[in-house]
Amino acid sequence: MATSSDERPSLPAQPGRRGLWLGILAYRWAALGWMVFLAIGAADEFRRPGVAWLVLGATGVWTLWLSVTPGWDRPLTRWLDLGVCIGLLLISGVVVREGYTVGDHPFFATAYPVCAALTWGAARGVGPGLAAGFALSVALTLSRPINGVSLADATGAQVEGVGNGVVYYIAAGGAMGLISRTLGRASDELRRSQEEVLRERERVARLSEHATMGRQIHDSVLQALAWVNKRGHELGAETSVPGREVLRLADMAAQQERELRALIQSEPEEPPKERASLRVALDADARAVGEVPVTVTALGPIWLPEHEIDEVTAAVRQALENVVQHARATHAVVFAEEGEQGLVVTVRDDGVGFVYEEDGLRSRGKFGLLQSMKGRIEDLGGRMTVRSAPGAGTEVEFLIPEQEPASDLAADEGRP
Amino acid sequence: MTIPSGETGSATIWRPPAIATVVAEASDGGEAIERARESMPEVILMDLQLPTVPGVEAIRAIVEESPHVKVVVLSASGEEVDVLEAVKVGATGYLLKGSTAAEIVNAVQRVRDGEPVFTPSLAGMVLSEFRRVAAPDPGVPGLTPRENEVLKLVAKGYTYREIAGKLFISVKTVQNHVQNILTKLQLRKRYELMRYAIQRGLDKAPE
Repeated sequence: MATSSDERPSLPAQPGRRGLWLGILAYRWAALGWMVFLAIGAADEFRRPGVAWLVLGATGVWTLWLSVTPGWDRPLTRWLDLGVCIGLLLISGVVVREGYTVGDHPFFATAYPVCAALTWGAARGVGPGLAAGFALSVALTLSRPINGVSLADATGAQVEGVGNGVVYYIAAGGAMGLISRTLGRASDELRRSQEEVLRERERVARLSEHATMGRQIHDSVLQALAWVNKRGHELGAETSVPGREVLRLADMAAQQERELRALIQSEPEEPPKERASLRVALDADARAVGEVPVTVTALGPIWLPEHEIDEVTAAVRQALENVVQHARATHAVVFAEEGEQGLVVTVRDDGVGFVYEEDGLRSRGKFGLLQSMKGRIEDLGGRMTVRSAPGAGTEVEFLIPEQEPASDLAADEGRP
Repeated sequence: MTIPSGETGSATIWRPPAIATVVAEASDGGEAIERARESMPEVILMDLQLPTVPGVEAIRAIVEESPHVKVVVLSASGEEVDVLEAVKVGATGYLLKGSTAAEIVNAVQRVRDGEPVFTPSLAGMVLSEFRRVAAPDPGVPGLTPRENEVLKLVAKGYTYREIAGKLFISVKTVQNHVQNILTKLQLRKRYELMRYAIQRGLDKAPE
């Protein structure tokens, strides 16, 4: 079962949606082929054959590019795709003979543009799928006047033709969105239960780690207890008991109590696989700051993936550098806890404080370090809040929500 | 004031200003208990690493005998577990050994005035302690949401005055919250010992 724990950091966010993407890609190629076939058949009907073949070539290049770059997670790609498909619809009105688009022959650019609606639906769900379908419908409707067909004078059959297209685009976007949402939920569910299992396994591993440490300490505790037991009975049998003797026994018990308590409260030495202790990393941060005493408090053991630790501690270090350089503080406190919202790390100083106003700071060239901290935290999907006022110290809060690979953006920014 | 400070030597760290008189000094835990009994000081400033009777035990004995005596623990860092134990048995203040004279004076004054002296790290430890036992017995008091909020702000380094401002309550109310948190912590400790004694039938044993 070690494999699944190895896979965890790169667990595909949406294995189901990946299949959708491949399906749409296959459809793209089929639609492109169909377009080429229709173009060959209707070669006589083109009033601008050059433009027609140029458009076909461009669509082919676009399709090829989509096939070789795994780029559907990128919003830019989706917008470009929508642009290509809308363009295809509009230009198709130009390339064919006037009035040709309303005839009883298949219109050569009808099949391909629906890909934009499908992609938006698959990537972003029902709403964006419907919206993309609607945008395509508008383009389709506009392609008629571009082709010289007045919408006002359109016959019933002509309106019906456009209506068919509209329904086709919108329904495709919406339906794909629905499928994508269902798949997304199912894979989330799967991921959650996988994580549940992993967490449980980590917990068991931690416990057994504890047990090992426990055995080492048990020996000394057992010896001390045995001695207290033996000596206690001896003293109990005597008529007068010297207080000093009893005190010695009590000391011995107290010493063992302390050791056991320290054992219970200490974190296990070894973090779970590929994770590290945030407290240890923050302590290192605090030690690196010489000029201002820093207290580090972390509630409970906080284990995080190593790259997350790196980013968080780098941000904390920058915050502490800020304190040293500007705050004129006597103390700084780093506080970390995992709450319902996610991981919260605050860096607080009792220094002079300042007016936190991003634009003003930026214009005076004083936003650099803050910008860098903010960037680090936002790259982790979190946000930075600064609370300060002149004379009231400064609190910088980093909030990093529990990692939700469900969003396609997060998946894109995840590690390769 | 009693200042048993072990090898450090009280004179080197403590030059009494006009606000207080040193009424007694002790060089080990056993002596501290005796001196406290004799001189009944308002505040005791005390190290935890003491010969004969360990600091935590001495505090337990002193506070049990004279609950009105306030104990401020002066401890080296890295003794967190001991400090938490000291607070559980009745210490009301905690200072790091590196504290400046001004900080010590300030802490002694505040503790004398009935204000618990918490450091952010101690607040963190106490928070962890309450979190560690997430679902306590019905008999073990937990923290109210407000107490939790106050303690967290202390752990973040806010002063009582700043917390009062943030939560729109009086400084006195903040102090009361902190005092209640301490009392709950001590109650938990007592409850734990009592439960142990009852389970083992130790409560019926003759003195």
